[in-house]
Amino acid sequence: METNAIETTSMPPLKEKPKGIKLFFVKLLQQRALVIMSVPFLIWLILFKYVPIWGWTIAFQDYKPALGFWDQKWIGFHHFEFLFGDDRFLRVLRNTLAMSAINLVFGFLTAIILALLLNEIRKVAFKRVVQTVSYLPHFISWVVAASIIQTTLSPDGIINELLVWFGFVNEGNEILFLGIPEYFWTIFGASSIWKDIGWNTIVYLAAMTTIDPAQYEAAEIDGANRLQKMTFITLPGIKSVVIVLLIMNIGYLLESGFEPQYLLGNGMNVDYSENIDIFVLKYGIAQSNFSLSIAAGMFKTVVSFILLFVANNVAKRMGESRLF
Amino acid sequence: MKKNKVLLLSLAAALMLSAVTACSGNNSNNTDKPTATNAATGDNGGSEPTKEKVTYTIYNGVAGSKDGNTNETTIGKMLEDQTGVNFKLEFLVGDLNTKIGTMIAANEYPDVLIPDAAMEEVMNAGAFIPLDELIEEHGPNIKRVYGNKLDQMRSADGKLYILPIAAQVGEFIPDPEAGAGFWIQRRVLEEAGYPVVKTLDQYIKLIEDYEAKHKDEKLTGLISLTHDWRFFATANPPMHLMGYPNDGNVMINGDTLEAKTYAGDEATKKWLKTLNDLNAKGLFDKASFVDNYDQYIAKLTSHNVLGFFDYKWQVDNALNVLKDAARKDPSLDKYRYFPLPITFDESITDAYIDAEGGVVTNRGIGITVSAKDPVRIIEYFDNLLKEENQILTSWGIKGETYEVNEEGRYYRTQEQIDKINEAFNEEFGFKYYSWNWPMYGANSTLSDGNAKGVAIQPEVFQMSLTEADKAILGKYGVQTYSQMFAKPVFRPWYPAWGFAKEQNSPEIMWETKKDELTKKYYPKMVLADPGKFESVWEDYMKEFGKLDTAGYEKWTTEKAKAKVEAVK
Repeated sequence: METNAIETTSMPPLKEKPKGIKLFFVKLLQQRALVIMSVPFLIWLILFKYVPIWGWTIAFQDYKPALGFWDQKWIGFHHFEFLFGDDRFLRVLRNTLAMSAINLVFGFLTAIILALLLNEIRKVAFKRVVQTVSYLPHFISWVVAASIIQTTLSPDGIINELLVWFGFVNEGNEILFLGIPEYFWTIFGASSIWKDIGWNTIVYLAAMTTIDPAQYEAAEIDGANRLQKMTFITLPGIKSVVIVLLIMNIGYLLESGFEPQYLLGNGMNVDYSENIDIFVLKYGIAQSNFSLSIAAGMFKTVVSFILLFVANNVAKRMGESRLF
Repeated sequence: MKKNKVLLLSLAAALMLSAVTACSGNNSNNTDKPTATNAATGDNGGSEPTKEKVTYTIYNGVAGSKDGNTNETTIGKMLEDQTGVNFKLEFLVGDLNTKIGTMIAANEYPDVLIPDAAMEEVMNAGAFIPLDELIEEHGPNIKRVYGNKLDQMRSADGKLYILPIAAQVGEFIPDPEAGAGFWIQRRVLEEAGYPVVKTLDQYIKLIEDYEAKHKDEKLTGLISLTHDWRFFATANPPMHLMGYPNDGNVMINGDTLEAKTYAGDEATKKWLKTLNDLNAKGLFDKASFVDNYDQYIAKLTSHNVLGFFDYKWQVDNALNVLKDAARKDPSLDKYRYFPLPITFDESITDAYIDAEGGVVTNRGIGITVSAKDPVRIIEYFDNLLKEENQILTSWGIKGETYEVNEEGRYYRTQEQIDKINEAFNEEFGFKYYSWNWPMYGANSTLSDGNAKGVAIQPEVFQMSLTEADKAILGKYGVQTYSQMFAKPVFRPWYPAWGFAKEQNSPEIMWETKKDELTKKYYPKMVLADPGKFESVWEDYMKEFGKLDTAGYEKWTTEKAKAKVEAVK
C-alpha cells in the first residue's frame, strides 16, 4: 500500500533512483512499520542465538565455573585433540550419522507415502481416524515409549511369543533384541518411524491442499488413473516443500536425538547406541567437564553449518526451490 | 492508511512489551528466592524476646520431600520457639548440576546449602564460608558431637567449610535389618528345611534344586539389576563374596590398607562364571541386562524370582510391597525374601552389615556467602544437636509418639506405630528432620542407652515383626536379620566410595572408563556360550589392562591411609 502510494505520487523523480546507502534509508523509512515489528525478534535472535556463541571460548579453556573470564586457564585445542584422538568418539560419530540417516531416509519415505495414501482416501471419517491414530504416538513421551518398546521386545514380550508360536525360535531361546548390538539401529529406526510418522505427514497433507483441484480435473479428463494423478500431480505439487524440509533436516544430521538412544541403550548395545549427545553427557557434563561438552557442541554446529550450505547449494544447482 | 499505521505500530509496541515483560518475569523467578527469604519476618515477641524471628533458606540437592517451612511442623515450631529461626526447605527438582550451576553463575545462594553430588563444584566456586570461628564461639554442641571428625572435613586450605550430615555418637548399634546380601525367597528355605547357607555354591544349589522340583511354575532362578548407574548391583558382588564391605571399586586390606580393585580379579571371574553357568541352565533371567529399574522391581514382586543380590535401600519398594501383602494374607509370606550372608568360602567372614564407618567427606552441609547472619544459623544447628532435640527429631514427644518403660527404654505402642504414617511424618516434622541437618547418626547411642534411630531400637524392631518373621528368624536362632551376618568390624576409612575426587581427575576418568567396560563385557560373559566364556574374559582383560588401574589403587590407598591416620 505504502509503496503504491509513493510510486503514484512521485513518478517524475523516480528517474534519479536513490542509490547505495541512500536507498537503504529510503527503504527503511518506507518500511518502518515492518522494521519496528521485527525488532523484538531480532533482539531475541541476537540474545539467544548469537550471544551464546561467546561461550565457545570455554572450549579452549580449562574451564572452572567459579572463576571469571580472565582467570581461566587457556589450553588451546586440548579438548579437540582428546575428542578426535579417542576411537570412542569416532564410533559415536558413526552411530550418530547412521541413525540420523536412517531417520531421515525412512522418516521421509514413510511420511510421504502415508500422506499420499491418506490424500487418496475419500471417506473423511476413516481418514480422520487413521490420522489421529498414526500421530498419537508422537505425544507419548520417549520415557513411556521406551518402556513400551522394551516390554514388547523382552524375552517374554509379544514379539518373542509370536516367534515361538510360529516356530521360528525354540522356547527358552528367545531373542534378546535389545542385547544384540547390530539390531539397535533397526529398532531405533522402527520406533522413531512408529512415533513420528503421523506427525510428519501433517505438513505434506497441508501442502497437498494447496494443489489446484483444476489440475486433477484436467488430468481426469485426459484419462489419468489414480496412480498417475499421484505421480504426475500430487508429488510434483509437494516437491518444493519436500526439498525445503530435506535441506533443513540435513542441517540436523548430527542431531540424532538423545532420549531414544539413552533410554533404549544398555551396556550390551552401547557400541551401536551411543551417539554424540550421550558421549557428551558421559564424559563432559557428568564429569563437570564443560569444556569438553562445548568442544563437542562446537564441532556439531560447524559440521551442521557446512552440511546445510552444501545441501542448499546442491538444490540451487538442480534449479529447485531452497532455503536461501 | 493512517489508521492502519497506528494499528501496526501499537501492535509492534505490544509485542515488544510482552517480550520484555516475559523476560523480566523469568528473571525475578530465578532470583527472588534467596533475597526474599533473607528478609526478617519482623514478627517480634514469643518466648525469646531478645531474638527477632527470622526465616532462612536451605536448599537440598537431593530430591525428597515437598518444599515448605519447618515451623509448619510440630517439631519445627518447637525449635522455632527455642531459637526464633524458621527454615524454608527447598528440595531438588530436575537436574542437580543445572540448579547448582545456576546458583554459581549468579553467585546467589540459599543461606544453607546441601550440594550432595555437586560438592566439588560448590567448593570450587567458593560458595561456603569458613565455620571454624563460628563453631569455636557458638557451637559447644557441634564440637561435642563431631569432635575431631571435623578435621577430616577440612579443605586443602586447612579451613572447615562443611559439616558432615550425620556423626556417630556413643556406642554403635547395628541396624537390625540387613543392609545388603544375597536374598532368597522364603519358600525355598522352607522346602529345604531351613539349612545354613553360607557359600555361593550352596546358595546356587538351593535355587537349582527348588527350580528342578517346580519345573512347571516357570520360575526364574536369579535376576540382577543392571540399569544405568545402578549397574553396581551386578558388579559389586565379587567384593562382598570375598568378605569385604561396600568400598565401591576397591577391596581394602584391613592390615596393610592396600586398596585393590576387583573388576579384573579372579573373584569377578568366578562370580561371572557362576552367572554364566546359571544362564546356560536357563536359570538366569537374561532380560536382566536390558530391563530398567522399574521392570526389575516389578519382577521382584511377581513371586517368580527365587533369588537376587542387592542392597536393601535399592529394593525396599519391592520388599515393602511383599511385606504389606503378607500382612493382609499370611499365605503370601512364602514369596518374601530373606537375606543371607553369602561368601565364596566358609572360611571367609562376611561384611555385609555396615559397621561404624569413617566420615563421608564428599557430602555435607554448609553456610553460603549469601547468608546474612551465619551466627543465628550456627546457633540453630548447635541447639539442634543438643541431646533433647535429637530425641525430639528422632523419637518425637514422650506420650505422643513414644513411651518409656520402667527400665528407661524407649518404645512405641502399636497404636503409635499405626498412627505414624507418611502423612503424620510430614505434619509432625519427622520427615523434614530425618535428614537435611547436622545430627547424630541413626546408629548412635543416646546418653541413656537408647538408640537414636527409632528403627534401630531393638524394642521397636521386634514390634514390627510379623508372626512369620519371628518364626523364620527363630529357625535360625536369631532375633534380627542382621544377626544372620557376621558382626561388623570398624573400618576407619569406610566407605572408600566416599573419598572426595576432583572433577575431571584421572580417578574419575578411570571410573567412567571402567564402568563402560564392565557394562559392555559383563553381559557378554554371562550370556556367552559356556565354552566361549574364557575367550570373552580374555578380551575383557585386554581392554581392562589399558586402564591405569595401578594409579587408581595407589590414589585410593593413600586416601585410606590418610583416613586411618586422621582417626588415630
